[in-house]
Amino acid sequence: MSLITENAVCPALEVQGIGKRFGGFWAVKDIDLVIKQGERRAILGPNGAGKTSLFNVLTGDLSASSGQVRMHGEDISRYPMDKRIRRGLRRTYQHAHLFDGLSVRDTLFLAVAALRGGWRQVWPVSQRDARVQQAEALAELAGLSDAIHRGVAELSHGQRRQLEIGIALAGEPRVLLLDEPAAGLSPAERPKLRELLTSLPNHITVVLIEHDMNIALQTSDFVTVLYNGEWLADGTPDEIVLDDNVRRVYLGGRDGD
Amino acid sequence: MKAGFLALPLIALPFVLNDFWLTQIATRALILGITALSLSFLATYLGVVSFAQITLAGIAGYTIAYFGPNTVGVGIKLPFWVSIPAALLFSVTAGALIGYIARRSRGIYAIMITLAIGVAFFYFTRQNYAVFNGWTGFSGITAPVVAGTSLRDPSTLYFLSLATAAIAVVLVSLFARAPLGLAIQAVRDAPSRVMALGIPVTTPVVAAFAFSGLIAGGGGILNVWYQERISSFSVGLGPIIDVLIIAVIGGLRHPLGAFLGAIVFVLLDTFAVDLIDRDRFNTLIGMVLLIIVMVAPNGLQQLAADAVAKLRAKEHQSGKSARIKTNT
Repeated sequence: MSLITENAVCPALEVQGIGKRFGGFWAVKDIDLVIKQGERRAILGPNGAGKTSLFNVLTGDLSASSGQVRMHGEDISRYPMDKRIRRGLRRTYQHAHLFDGLSVRDTLFLAVAALRGGWRQVWPVSQRDARVQQAEALAELAGLSDAIHRGVAELSHGQRRQLEIGIALAGEPRVLLLDEPAAGLSPAERPKLRELLTSLPNHITVVLIEHDMNIALQTSDFVTVLYNGEWLADGTPDEIVLDDNVRRVYLGGRDGD
Repeated sequence: MKAGFLALPLIALPFVLNDFWLTQIATRALILGITALSLSFLATYLGVVSFAQITLAGIAGYTIAYFGPNTVGVGIKLPFWVSIPAALLFSVTAGALIGYIARRSRGIYAIMITLAIGVAFFYFTRQNYAVFNGWTGFSGITAPVVAGTSLRDPSTLYFLSLATAAIAVVLVSLFARAPLGLAIQAVRDAPSRVMALGIPVTTPVVAAFAFSGLIAGGGGILNVWYQERISSFSVGLGPIIDVLIIAVIGGLRHPLGAFLGAIVFVLLDTFAVDLIDRDRFNTLIGMVLLIIVMVAPNGLQQLAADAVAKLRAKEHQSGKSARIKTNT
């Protein structure tokens, strides 16, 4: 990526006509999005709106049936998942599949080593290794410093969510896609997550799928609402709350409420 | 300190045991333990039960037989410092190849693939005369002589096997903590998540199998020196199942489990005939193994570790109550 392209005011993520079809069913259909660098964007929509499918297509977990994805001006539509990750596109998963047999530190170390290289090394690394230090810094960023030596299997649900975010922050993420990070968290764990989300560095663009309206609206600059796999509305959090279409399909309100 | 407690009696064994106990029991258990360790490594860290470990050991063994002195007139005689690395190279390469073939298989499918490879290799060795000398295989294989001492000499072979076993255990624990070892464990826990990190799943799987080929190859070389022969029977279903039994009864959680399992198996295999009718000794072995699996579902190593932990807790408790008594 040349500096010229980087410096041009191109969006962090530009999605044109993206669609994903399973047989005759379009899970996501003809979505256009332009997300600016450093923006906090929430993607809302009821169950089955196509939010996670959209993420899967953006990251390359699923191949797109139509459309194009550009990240910082570069067309990544045909890139395999690992190449997109190396370009700085990261995500967390709705259902945290983590490495239950590893410790928090080893998990974060592996995430760092996967991007910085050296994961093929066949002898143990020293504690002073730069990658180990980075893993420890990530644990601190994700609020897991106290649990760094614990096994992943021993973590609470909230801590697993934090670890997911820690993994996604490894290397130098430029665009971070968070898939329902607050799902299943206790009321006590939610403020901690909100704090973590708001403390993310400004140069990272964050796209968030979230059912918790408080978290979604408080942590985002702009909101896109999907319904039945299609675009329904765009706007600032305040506009979205007042949007009649959105209230009807998502917030449970009726026309004229 | 802990390793010293374990090592000292093992080093002293040749001075207290006669040749029968040293060779037939201790050395044989170490050699079988090394091969079983290659299986328990894969099971523990990759989560794959491989039935092809005897094949990997056999490939190393056949290499030593083919490129070393034997009495069947097949093969090319090479110095041992060439044939030993060649044997390990072949077993590692074969391991990598098996890993590549089984790279997408887990659970029962991995078992089926590795079993198919094991059985195919068995039949291949029976039918191929040019390299494997058919079902009769190789006999009269002699171990190298170093500084005037044959490596087949009972004490020498014992120490060699002990050293190989110790190196294998150290290698396994080092490799498990290395980045590639962590990637292997990550593949065991969540392969799709490993891909999402940007690590291709095939490399850790192939590396795990190749590493298990190195360990199994070490066992295979020692075994062919110990037996002084190798044939299709050495790589058949019998030895394949023996190694699985050893790994399971010993326990898969710790590398030492394989050696505990091997000792129990060798004792049973050697003495069951003396205890019961020749026709029935397999029944006795089966019964004992069944009891072990029922009493210690996580293997003998775990049973021993639990017992030690219990004992320590008891000591701690009695120490505490003694302190309370003196205080009052």
